[in-house]
Amino acid sequence: MLGKGAGGSGAKPAKPSFVSYVSPEGHQARRKGYPNLLQKKWEGSSRFIHKEIHIKEPIEKEVNLHLLPGELLLCEANTVLKCVQEDGSNRGAYGKLICTNFKIAFLGDESASDDNEPEFKNKIIGENDITLHCVDHIYGVYDEKKKSLSGQLKKYPEKLIIYCKDLRVFHFCLRYTKEEEVKRIVSGIVHHSQTPKLLKRLFLFSYAIAAPTNTDTQSQTVMFDAIKDWREELERTKGNMKYKVLSANEAYKVSEKLPLYFVVPMSLSEESILQYQGRGIPIWCWSCHNGASLLKMSAFPKEQEDNTSQMHKIFLDGVYKTINKPPYEVLKTDDLSSSLPSLQDIQAAYTRFKQLFLIDNSTDFWDTDVKWFSLLESTNWLEIVRRCLKKAIEVVEYLEGQNTNVLLIEENASDLCCVISSLVQVMMDSHYRTKFGFQSLIQKEWVMGGHCFLDRCNHLRQSDKEEAPVFLLFLDCVWQLVQQYPPAFEFTETYLTVLSDSLYIPIFSTFFFNSPHQKDTNVSGEGHNAQSSHFRFLTVWDWSVQFEPKAQVLLNNPLYVEKPKLDKSQRKTTRFKHQRQLSLPLTQTKSSPKRGFFREETDHFIKNILGKRISKLINSSDELHNNFTEFYDSWHCKPVDFHGLLLPHIEGPGIKVWAQRYLRWIPEAQLLGGGTVATATKILDVIEEVQSLQKKMDEKHSLTVPQSREALPMLRNSARLSSLFPFALLQRHSLKPVLPTSTWKDLEDEDDLAKRDDEFVDLSEVI
Amino acid sequence: MSHIPPPPCINSHFEQKAALGTLYLTATHVIFVENMSETRKETWILHSQISSIEKQATTATGCPLLIRCKNFQIIQLIIPQERDCHDVYISLIRLARPVKYEELYCFSFNPKLDKEEREKGWKLVGLSEEYNRMGVPNNYWQISDVNRDYQVCDSYPTEVYVPKSATAHIIVGSSKFRSRRRFPALSYYCKDNNASICRSSQPLSGFSARCLEDEQMLQAIRKANPGSNFIYVVDTRPKLNAMANRAAGKGYENEDNYSNIKFQFIGIENIHVMRSSLQKMLEVCELKSPSMNDFLWGLENSGWLKHIKAIMDAGIFIAKAVAEEGISVLVHCSDGWDRTAQVCSVASLLLDPFYRTMKGFMDSYWISGYNGNILHYFRYGNLDGDPKEISPVIDQFIECVWQLMEQFPCAFEFNERFLIHIQHHIYSCQFGNFLCNTQKERRELKIQERTYSLWAHLWKNRADYMNPLYREDHSQTQGTLRPQTAPCNFLYKFWSGMYTRFEKGMHPRQSVTDYLMAVKEETQQLEEELEVLEQRLADLKKVQSNNRKENSKQQDQNTHLGLSASNNSIANTPQDYINNVKSFPSRSPSQGDEEDSALILTQDNLKSSDPDLSANSDQESGVEDLSCRSPSGGGCLPSEDSGKDSDEAVFLTV
Repeated sequence: MLGKGAGGSGAKPAKPSFVSYVSPEGHQARRKGYPNLLQKKWEGSSRFIHKEIHIKEPIEKEVNLHLLPGELLLCEANTVLKCVQEDGSNRGAYGKLICTNFKIAFLGDESASDDNEPEFKNKIIGENDITLHCVDHIYGVYDEKKKSLSGQLKKYPEKLIIYCKDLRVFHFCLRYTKEEEVKRIVSGIVHHSQTPKLLKRLFLFSYAIAAPTNTDTQSQTVMFDAIKDWREELERTKGNMKYKVLSANEAYKVSEKLPLYFVVPMSLSEESILQYQGRGIPIWCWSCHNGASLLKMSAFPKEQEDNTSQMHKIFLDGVYKTINKPPYEVLKTDDLSSSLPSLQDIQAAYTRFKQLFLIDNSTDFWDTDVKWFSLLESTNWLEIVRRCLKKAIEVVEYLEGQNTNVLLIEENASDLCCVISSLVQVMMDSHYRTKFGFQSLIQKEWVMGGHCFLDRCNHLRQSDKEEAPVFLLFLDCVWQLVQQYPPAFEFTETYLTVLSDSLYIPIFSTFFFNSPHQKDTNVSGEGHNAQSSHFRFLTVWDWSVQFEPKAQVLLNNPLYVEKPKLDKSQRKTTRFKHQRQLSLPLTQTKSSPKRGFFREETDHFIKNILGKRISKLINSSDELHNNFTEFYDSWHCKPVDFHGLLLPHIEGPGIKVWAQRYLRWIPEAQLLGGGTVATATKILDVIEEVQSLQKKMDEKHSLTVPQSREALPMLRNSARLSSLFPFALLQRHSLKPVLPTSTWKDLEDEDDLAKRDDEFVDLSEVI
Repeated sequence: MSHIPPPPCINSHFEQKAALGTLYLTATHVIFVENMSETRKETWILHSQISSIEKQATTATGCPLLIRCKNFQIIQLIIPQERDCHDVYISLIRLARPVKYEELYCFSFNPKLDKEEREKGWKLVGLSEEYNRMGVPNNYWQISDVNRDYQVCDSYPTEVYVPKSATAHIIVGSSKFRSRRRFPALSYYCKDNNASICRSSQPLSGFSARCLEDEQMLQAIRKANPGSNFIYVVDTRPKLNAMANRAAGKGYENEDNYSNIKFQFIGIENIHVMRSSLQKMLEVCELKSPSMNDFLWGLENSGWLKHIKAIMDAGIFIAKAVAEEGISVLVHCSDGWDRTAQVCSVASLLLDPFYRTMKGFMDSYWISGYNGNILHYFRYGNLDGDPKEISPVIDQFIECVWQLMEQFPCAFEFNERFLIHIQHHIYSCQFGNFLCNTQKERRELKIQERTYSLWAHLWKNRADYMNPLYREDHSQTQGTLRPQTAPCNFLYKFWSGMYTRFEKGMHPRQSVTDYLMAVKEETQQLEEELEVLEQRLADLKKVQSNNRKENSKQQDQNTHLGLSASNNSIANTPQDYINNVKSFPSRSPSQGDEEDSALILTQDNLKSSDPDLSANSDQESGVEDLSCRSPSGGGCLPSEDSGKDSDEAVFLTV
């Protein structure tokens, strides 16, 4: 109630003071002396031309502030100038800066009218909203000098720069804002986003109390919070002969680190599991088709006492003995804490890496260009990505190539273990390359696996030492796979980007607890009437909370095809022929399918042959081959089965920067009418075309008179989309991205089409 | 469930994989046949592709020989006997370095085309047709015969396009003031605003020399664009290089001497820098499993992408001047045949959507070799010559095109494969297109009568080179591509499809393209089917009405319209019957059910997004069946109109 009241009053902006009114006015006048800006369209910056046009005198009008249930307005400041960052000048839009217990938001006076809305829009986080957890760093500018803001402030800056964890950078100029408002907003923002918080003070809980409890929608994502989920997973991977689900941890009696249910080798005795609170126990992750399994284990902490460590050793030997004999395969252990970079290394690398993209102005951006590759290299982030992929391939090689069980060991088995085990599963099991499968995998390995999201993301700001972007590292690795083999995944890179953004939205419980135990102990409210006060948290997998169905289309890969049923072996020849039809040479070796051409060449060769047979020769290289490279190379020699094993290229050129996530807010990096978006829209176009033809054929088939109206081709044009779509928010005033929709229904929406036509006319006038 | 078969991996050559085999040397090829595998895989390498042969220190297994190819393939052979190895080495050195044009493969290569076809192949592209397409000659530009018999400039073609107001006197005078007598001549003309791109070599200005005719020549170029009051003169060299040339009596235009010019240096490095840059980059590519460190440092140190960017920026500058400002540009470097050619070509590509089509790209004279404006042949190093003259000028241009394709995936009609094959054939010497330095030499050698044209070959196989993403409609972009002149490293990428393509499998992007091509094929088949169906529908209607008229009595007995009705009424003879069925798309539900290997796209995706469509499950299988061959298809007659091979049956399920 209180929140609503505050929100209501907040919605009415205070009357601008004399000072604050005049300065923007003067600014406006200056800006008008830039008619030549319109000629700058070559620069591809129609985005800011439009900005120019759109800045009008600040109109006193109701700015609608949308607050979520449970969201409270904490402080606000008027006449804040949100700067267009590229040139460092003080141009931009005026509006109100507010801070709530959920987000920092800028409400432009020039609030976007409804028809101006982008079609790919996050319903929770607007383009000028920053959730408190998304704030990375806050800087204040004092006399052209940038200083980090934290704690108590003595002096208040004239400009606020907010670096976000999703790599946006906001510049708020406070020069025209009243002094007391500056004080309030700056200290408010710094306090609410930077100071340590208690778990119970997370917005998650406020939201869960206030939000209407929505009925559980049956999702296809397996949450792994029930014993049935684990049983089914065992059955699906055919691991149920050798492994069993344990319910010993019900009510977290064994360990607070472990989930309620987990899977262990059948031969393991109950008491050994209880002995060390789940440490030293191989926990099942996944079984390969050949019976080899992937296991993980929390290691014992390094003990000073010889006695204890001796006992640990004996215990471990016993455990290994039980699972190192039939029916289990040979066991290979891999201590990830020694074979992969430490969490500190990962954090340090990411900190350096993200600096490359958190750019204040275009000058900075140009400066990095000269030494871009060496800068990139010195961050070491891509090398870490590469090493994780390489480690995963090694594990795959043991499982697949050598039929060996692999046991991953790490202190808590909840960081790098999660990365490697999930990567291995994505690479080996095509189920995990579907959207629901991938989400289930994250539930299984990360959420139930007890990855400390709260600490690793530092959501509570309690300790910087624990912070490490482990989950992001995993997403980056998956992205590498997605960009190397797009047709193998049901989801797109946009899905991964959006998922990475969801890490910082505190209305979903998925990424805001350290373990299932922590979640379960906090799920009951303060009241003692247990039933009613149970919090109902949203899960991030319910994408409809964030996106309209239309926008969700962009998360699905249109080229993905589900695994075919394998029961029709007789079709094989057909399939092969079809491949032939498709097969086109990339290399110029003899294997070119253009038989005609090369046959003639062969004739020619026979005529010319000198017949000088030299001797048996070996074509080889000196390099010593170990199993790994042999496995890797032989896999890459074969055609890719998108539903089978997938190994990424891990040579230097194969690993790339996740451009969509890291470059999306940088206007310089955007291409009008180009980039991967052009490909994506074109694909959707083609699919639509096929669909419409299918439909037409259907009509003809039934030999009925076509009832539906003549299908209009979709007026979508990727020439108007920028390469940063769907994230190019700066762009969209002038060039509204037309979001691809592949549903037939949308085609029949004539109003929609008409609107698009108008937009197009508009556009040509603007340019 | 429908299913797209995985695009096949190309049976490429793996350096990592050792294989035992037999090596054959022929007059034209090095052939390695593997003994081990059942397929006896063969690797063929044209001698002309060999760029270097290196004999390495003998090891226990034998004597290693490293062969580097111009298409960036690397092969290591280990020959057990040192003497054999030496023989091979000596032979290859001789074979890979022909001294005469006549030794080149294209003079013996015979794709079994008759004379007519050969001529047709050469006529695919023509210089004057190309200028006509651009709209010249016209009121401002004309063909000059001043260079007939190559009197003025032997590296120019006989037909040269110059401003109308430039008299023979001016041209000859200007040519005397230019390096190698390469006077300013038209390269690209923009119909819409009369702006043009001209090219020449550097002026012999030294420190103070002037030439009235040359000044008049530039004036004439400006006047040929009545709307403008100045022209840009772009010197693509770094300023330092141009200054150095002044000391040798060459140099650049002095803005004071020429009225109404704006002078601009661009700073593309010379061929020697480019050669060593490529060399450095290739060293990175040769690394076995390079780490991020090796790769990123190596790439940066090579400077290759920086050079690519310099060329692109120059092209962008010129395109911008022509398209946006409507100002004519004169481009030169030193001799006006390396950097100038690259830059003018990139600018034309940006300006004119025609050059982004397959036909247009082949037509483009910069690469087709009709004009003296081509890249200098000795840069390829196909004939034994000065290794210092070899430079990756054409490789850079091809890479520029690829970079543009990456940035604008829908702008080009052709795909990456097209570029790779062109690059391959530039060095293969299998076709005559890229031979010789000048038109004069080409005519003397009778290239067109003695060799074949690559374009005919590529055109014949054009289905392989289509970009399924191509967007023909240019209304949104007005035909001009506007790349960002942004920091290069965000935009310009390492082209692993070219430089490391022989190493591992295939380029990932390829798979998407292949998919799309499959989808495209699919749509085409659907369209054809639709046509057939419509035709059939019309026929049936006709039959129906005929039936009504003629056999109104019989009508009652026919419970079915459609097929049965038509059988009764039309199929009077067995032959008629067959024809009748033939024209009808073969209906075979039982077979249709078995089909599952079609290459249709994501039924599931469609399903989720469109419940209406997927409600009809028949249509799913119906579409699948369209695209696949049925092994039992012999029983059914192929539809006549589908335009497919006879062994490829088309099915419809109802």
